[in-house]
Amino acid sequence: MAASQTNALNWFLHRITGTFLIFFLITHFWVQHYDHQAASVTHEVVTEKGEMPDYPEEAEEGVEARMGSSAEATPYQVVMQRLADPVYAVLWKGFNILFLVVALHHGFYGLNNVMTDYIRNPMGRLVARALSWTVALGLLILGLYSVITAGW
Amino acid sequence: MAVDTEERPTATASKTDATAQQERRFQRYRIRTGMFAWMMHRLTGVGLVVYLIIHIWGLTALTDPETFNALIAKYHSPIYKVGEFALLVAVAYHAMNGLRIVLIDFLGWSPKQKKLFWTLGAVTAVIILVGGWPSLYALGEWAFGPGSMPTLFL
Ligand code: HEM
Ligand code: HEM
Repeated sequence: MAASQTNALNWFLHRITGTFLIFFLITHFWVQHYDHQAASVTHEVVTEKGEMPDYPEEAEEGVEARMGSSAEATPYQVVMQRLADPVYAVLWKGFNILFLVVALHHGFYGLNNVMTDYIRNPMGRLVARALSWTVALGLLILGLYSVITAGW
Repeated sequence: MAVDTEERPTATASKTDATAQQERRFQRYRIRTGMFAWMMHRLTGVGLVVYLIIHIWGLTALTDPETFNALIAKYHSPIYKVGEFALLVAVAYHAMNGLRIVLIDFLGWSPKQKKLFWTLGAVTAVIILVGGWPSLYALGEWAFGPGSMPTLFL
């Protein structure tokens, strides 16, 4: 009874987290690949070791405005426009943390569904479940740590 | 779960050979499209979990400028550009098929399922082409020389 209720709740939650992920991923993709000022990844191929990608004018101006006129638009600085800014950092770190939690929940709940389908042995299921959620918890701590301390 | 995309075959009182065959064809269609959509959903879902693990692991580089620069520079190598495109394909497919499942589950869209399937299929294709253009553009410029690719909206 209790078990089937949590299953129904989780089933529902999985659909909700999936829907939220659409919005998170669109924003994430826009910011990392499209926005001329904020995108960390440019449409350029780099093959030399140690070579850095070039960033558009908007990104260089943004970095200089925030980090001083001698600051260079390296990938790190471009990302720090958001993550080390006194105002935007709170919003972006909040966004990243929510994204992290939702993505981990959706991904690992889904993974457990898949594993339950293929692992027939109850003991095996228990082990797989315990193991996968341990990994998820580890990733949560790791992800929280990197995104919170970024730019300090 | 896999959701059928067929329209319900009309009930027939007496089954002639032709209608029986018709029904079998519907059944084959359902298994092919519905099963395939579900298998791909599963495959992309698990693939995205693997990516997410690597991604979060890699992002510990955020704590050190040098390491982070090296990581993002690596994202600009040709093989990663291919991977980036593949990642977008997986995300776009999983997201739109997931949306289809959610819509059907919550809104009970059954009579329009087939239409929904193809509409979202078209949306997915647009997302992949528009979203994937930066990766394709980068690969083309690298393979065929600077200026060989149209900038379009970049
Ligand atoms: C090639 C495509 C991608 C690139 C270049 C990229 C890049 C980044 C970068 C630079 C960050 C650091 C935070 C920030 O800049 O605000 C980040 C965070 C994050 N990304 Fe991505 N990302 C990509 C695809 C994805 C995908 C497909 C997912 C979902 C499965 C995802 C999930 C996340 C999450 C959850 C965070 C927050 C991590 C944390 O809080 O520690 N990313 N990404
Ligand atoms: C972009 C928005 C997303 C939407 C709308 C979405 C939607 C869904 C839905 C509705 C299901 C349930 C399918 C079912 O019960 O048959 C599902 C399953 C799953 N999703 Fe997502 N999802 C999204 C993103 C992600 C991401 C980023 C990951 C990985 C981190 C992921 C991993 C999975 C996994 C592993 C499953 C289980 C597959 C299965 O049971 O066959 N999804 N998704």
